[in-house]
Amino acid sequence: MTSEAFVHIGSHQPRKEDARLLTGHGRYIDDIVVSGALHACFVRSPHAHAEILSVNMGAALDMPGVVAIYTGHDLAQWTTRHRMAPPIDGLRAMEMDTLPTTKVRFQGDPVACVIATNRYLAEDAAEQVQVDYAVLPAVSTMWQALASDAPRVDNDLPDNLLSHQHAVHGDVAGAMAGAHRVIESTFSQHRQTHLPIETRGCIADWDVGRQHLNFQVGTQVPHPYRTTLAARLRLSESQVSVVSPDVGGGFGQKIALYREELTVAAVSMQLGRPVRWREDRMENLLASSQAREDFCRTRVAVDAQGRVLALDLEIVEDFGAYSFYPGNYLARVVAMIVTGPYRIASYAYDVKVVLSNKVGNGPMRAPMSVTSWVMEGTLDAVARELGLDPVAVRRVNMLRPDELPYTMATGEVLADVSPNATMDGVLAAIGYDSLRERQVQARAQGRWLGIGVCNVVESTTYGSKFYKSAGIAGSGHEAAWIRIEPSGAVNASVGLGATGQGYETSLANAVADGLGVSPADVRVLLGHTDIAPYGMGSRGARGGTAGGGTLYLCAQQARTAVLAIAAHLLGLADAQALRLLESRVQQQVEDRWQDTALTLADIARVAYLDPLALPPGVSPGLEFHLTYEPPPMTYSNASHACVVEVDGATGAVHIERYVVAEDCGTVLSPVVVEGQQHGAIAMGLSGSLYEHIEYDSATGQNLSGSLADYLVATSHELPHFELIPMHTPNRSTPAGIKGMAEGGVMGAIGALSNAVNDALAHLGVVVNQQPLTPMYLRGLIRQAQQNTNKAST
Amino acid sequence: MNEQRITLTVNGRNIEFEAEPRKLLLDALREDCHLSGTHAGCEHGVCGACTVLVDGRPTRSCLCFAIQMEGHEVQTIESVGTPQKLSVLQQALHECHGLQCGFCTPGIVMTFEAYLKDHPEPTEADIREVLSGNLCRCTGYQNIVAAIALAARRMREASPHDQ
Amino acid sequence: MKPAAFTYHRPATLDEALALMSDLAPEAKPLAGGQSLGPMLNMRLANPAHLVDLNDLTELGRIRDLGDAIEVGALARHHQLADSALLSEHCPLLVQCAQSIGHYAIRQRGTLGGSLAHADPAAQLALAAITLGATLTLVRRGGHRELAALDFLQAAMTTALLPDELLLSVRFPKFAAREASALRLFSRRHGDFGIVSVATCVALDGDRVSRLRLGVGGVAPVPQRLDSITRPFEQQRANAAWVTAVADAVAQAVQPEDDPRIPAEYRRELAHTMVVRALDSALQQLKKTRP
Repeated sequence: MTSEAFVHIGSHQPRKEDARLLTGHGRYIDDIVVSGALHACFVRSPHAHAEILSVNMGAALDMPGVVAIYTGHDLAQWTTRHRMAPPIDGLRAMEMDTLPTTKVRFQGDPVACVIATNRYLAEDAAEQVQVDYAVLPAVSTMWQALASDAPRVDNDLPDNLLSHQHAVHGDVAGAMAGAHRVIESTFSQHRQTHLPIETRGCIADWDVGRQHLNFQVGTQVPHPYRTTLAARLRLSESQVSVVSPDVGGGFGQKIALYREELTVAAVSMQLGRPVRWREDRMENLLASSQAREDFCRTRVAVDAQGRVLALDLEIVEDFGAYSFYPGNYLARVVAMIVTGPYRIASYAYDVKVVLSNKVGNGPMRAPMSVTSWVMEGTLDAVARELGLDPVAVRRVNMLRPDELPYTMATGEVLADVSPNATMDGVLAAIGYDSLRERQVQARAQGRWLGIGVCNVVESTTYGSKFYKSAGIAGSGHEAAWIRIEPSGAVNASVGLGATGQGYETSLANAVADGLGVSPADVRVLLGHTDIAPYGMGSRGARGGTAGGGTLYLCAQQARTAVLAIAAHLLGLADAQALRLLESRVQQQVEDRWQDTALTLADIARVAYLDPLALPPGVSPGLEFHLTYEPPPMTYSNASHACVVEVDGATGAVHIERYVVAEDCGTVLSPVVVEGQQHGAIAMGLSGSLYEHIEYDSATGQNLSGSLADYLVATSHELPHFELIPMHTPNRSTPAGIKGMAEGGVMGAIGALSNAVNDALAHLGVVVNQQPLTPMYLRGLIRQAQQNTNKAST
Repeated sequence: MNEQRITLTVNGRNIEFEAEPRKLLLDALREDCHLSGTHAGCEHGVCGACTVLVDGRPTRSCLCFAIQMEGHEVQTIESVGTPQKLSVLQQALHECHGLQCGFCTPGIVMTFEAYLKDHPEPTEADIREVLSGNLCRCTGYQNIVAAIALAARRMREASPHDQ
Repeated sequence: MKPAAFTYHRPATLDEALALMSDLAPEAKPLAGGQSLGPMLNMRLANPAHLVDLNDLTELGRIRDLGDAIEVGALARHHQLADSALLSEHCPLLVQCAQSIGHYAIRQRGTLGGSLAHADPAAQLALAAITLGATLTLVRRGGHRELAALDFLQAAMTTALLPDELLLSVRFPKFAAREASALRLFSRRHGDFGIVSVATCVALDGDRVSRLRLGVGGVAPVPQRLDSITRPFEQQRANAAWVTAVADAVAQAVQPEDDPRIPAEYRRELAHTMVVRALDSALQQLKKTRP
């Protein structure tokens, strides 16, 4: 399953999706017209933590256009509670109401749902709903959450510690005791949110006659979503269809079944009418899942050459108030893969996940984003302490090709990765040595340039074995079907959920090459749970490997069957000398391929309309179905390098150059992969510099309720990204495909921080928190300059 | 509800409907004019997804009311090209992979269809400066910038007398 | 985020507009470009019962040469100021400020009058008006009056406008023969409001500074013109030491408020840095025009 002669996989195919998206003819949720649909609008808590004393809706119910108003008590009758209790050591079970009935846990917690004839009127009515609260003290930081006298976020739990996991591999204590040096570093990543440009939304249509729920929602995971939705509504899975149309970005925010969507579905069932909801941006910033708020501390034992003898990692994650996901999941991946491309046998981790009065967390593109910053920042600290070059420290610790496959301390197996090659590649591309010279010259002129390097090992395509070993109920398999129609047209489907990745095009490539047709003849159907096979959706960069891989294997199966029929029709003993090329059956005659008289359409016609002409034992029709289980984890790797200039007077950071050498295996569509990289790096840089969901540490108020507060990088702030592709196919996946799409975030966060540290190294400044705001950097610079002045007086 | 009759001229056609004065131009276009290509991304003027042209000038349709636009010419993304025949800019975006989920794309197209008419030779810095008024979460902007530069070059080549 | 209901008025003439304002005050809010008011309405931070749409009063959008000053109508759009040849020649600071506002699309709609009436402490045009010593003409049914920009901008988001009054136009004195200006605005991202902004106009007589106008935004609820601080620096030779001395004096004089996210000390430092960079830029331009 490695080196094959690909025709379409790996070539540039302009996207099929573009024609409609460019001209305003896409169909996103809010574009879909449903006549007679009512509009939902949620009344939300203004307090971070408060008891709900009463909800008074008399005045609101009288307002124009209002049909009904519901509270948590109504939803409690129509839906089950949400029980999040996977069988994982160290994880506490949580049970949550659909809408709060007794208390609200974050500013923005939905307390009531107004149903009206349009959104304007619904908002008018929502303003008139009077809710009486008794305000409670709020838990606004992870440290407050851990305090022994902290208010409890969840009254059913003894304290705010949702999950605590720790492990020791190898001899950490011994290595620390005998080390040349033990170096401690901390890394504080701040709270961020996914911010897809299209907010959440859904349309629920309960068919009273058929007792069937048609639920349209932009989701990355149509089938798991349907399973959950049906269960929460106490419906059979057959009573629910989930349909995902065009989606304006997901990034992990559109996976879980959230309270609002469930409420809309339940209300539609109650009213027997279609009900729709579109989240507005303020709601998206207040009440849609958030991510990334981690505090990490490393202690690393090294010898005099900077070789790592042992690593100790402590993580505390602020998880918010509700478990939309298992609490251990996100932090666990960080702990598992943090050692990355480095040879570290003795490794211990301690991961605590705490609840707070903020909106609940959800995986955000590269949920393990802090990993590379932590590992690479730790190595930079080693270099600083020992007076060594940071690249040299990486080299001495980096796995060599002859050491692969390498089993990490945590049991993860690294195979088919090329960290040495990518690091060499990026250093050459950026001109590392001459940059160092330039840096010295610039410093003499009072300009502070910095160079940051970050090596990334990205975990992708989480297989079922990963879930099992992590104790998470879940599967990593994927399912596909391919149907060749009587005319020779090809329809294919897989259980992914598209949110902009260009699946219609790249997956068509996989089918085309596996089967032997042109991608133009392949139509890929996604997002409809009645049509697509039951799959696990799009997350964790699995689209290429799991989705593309499954389709490729299924297409190969189809090709084998097609050629067997062709051989029979041509009177040949077997299909050994046959192939399918652009839907034409070709035969190899003396080393040359020639067209036969048969096309795919001919074979399909026989299969559907003249089955007696088929070979004996072959069933009519040309429909194929396959499931595929990828390896437990596929890894791709990259090395990022970043050149920055820090303005010492203002603390502003300017990114001068950004280069990546990436190895993501066989690439289904190079242009798509490049685009994914740009987007991932952009998200990482934007997050490190600008994005910050801030909660007031005293009151728990969310201070980031608009895009004037939550800043996102624009085209003006971001540099040009130079990508150097290097493709080492994975030997154990179909076509050598690996995953990618998240590593860019990891690399950007680490490379930028390391570059800033490098720029400020002459002051002895080390950044250990993000975002890297000008105020923060200027504060560190000022302090360092004052200390220098003090020292010299 | 104080709905009033409003007549808008959108993409060259007159469209009559009833709406409250507070109805945003954005919502009137999407609902009453049945033109859903203009998207709501933030409703406070920051993201640019709702950008249309009013009398040829880029305008945030979330920051004006439908009733205000009586007597003015409104152009939306649907007037620019069709799936069968893309405009020069749309074609360039397609070739350069300048869109992924496509949600921000109509706002960008409208902004630059207007901008490139008045500024046929933008530098990359110019493009990034103007594009900074449109947020994209998918692409990192690079391919969009390349597409706009390519479109500008092709437009210049097609009508050299404008140089 | 949909606005609350309001009654909409669309006067065809200035007299009509003033009559409406007079009849409906204080429940009436004028609507110009909508780039500042629109978000507030959508977020229901503003809920006026009446909106008076001024956009048909196109005669208020003109830029005129009055001889010793340039008069800019309240309804002039930012892009008009940014592209104005008249302003480029006679009052380039206005061009520099207008060019820096928000983004291309915002500048197509936003107006001078709207920005001044909104009185955001960080707004560039307010800073320009104060720095240039502009005179504003306000009008209501029954008459008009003139106010210096310094008197018009009273506090954050607060002006001297009476509830039934409209801003009609703003008069900006023309630059001297050898005078150059610069705006240095420090913001998180391009197009954001400045955290601290400095606008300056420097006129030279020979190699001595004959006139120094300097305004700082972001260190007080309204932009500050620090004449008492800058006057002592006139009649001196313009060189690097002079620039530093001015910056030192300004940094010492300003009293920005302290905030956990943006400490006063940081604003003070920014003021110093932006003064240096603005003055350097203005002097650099003057070097090029040396006779």
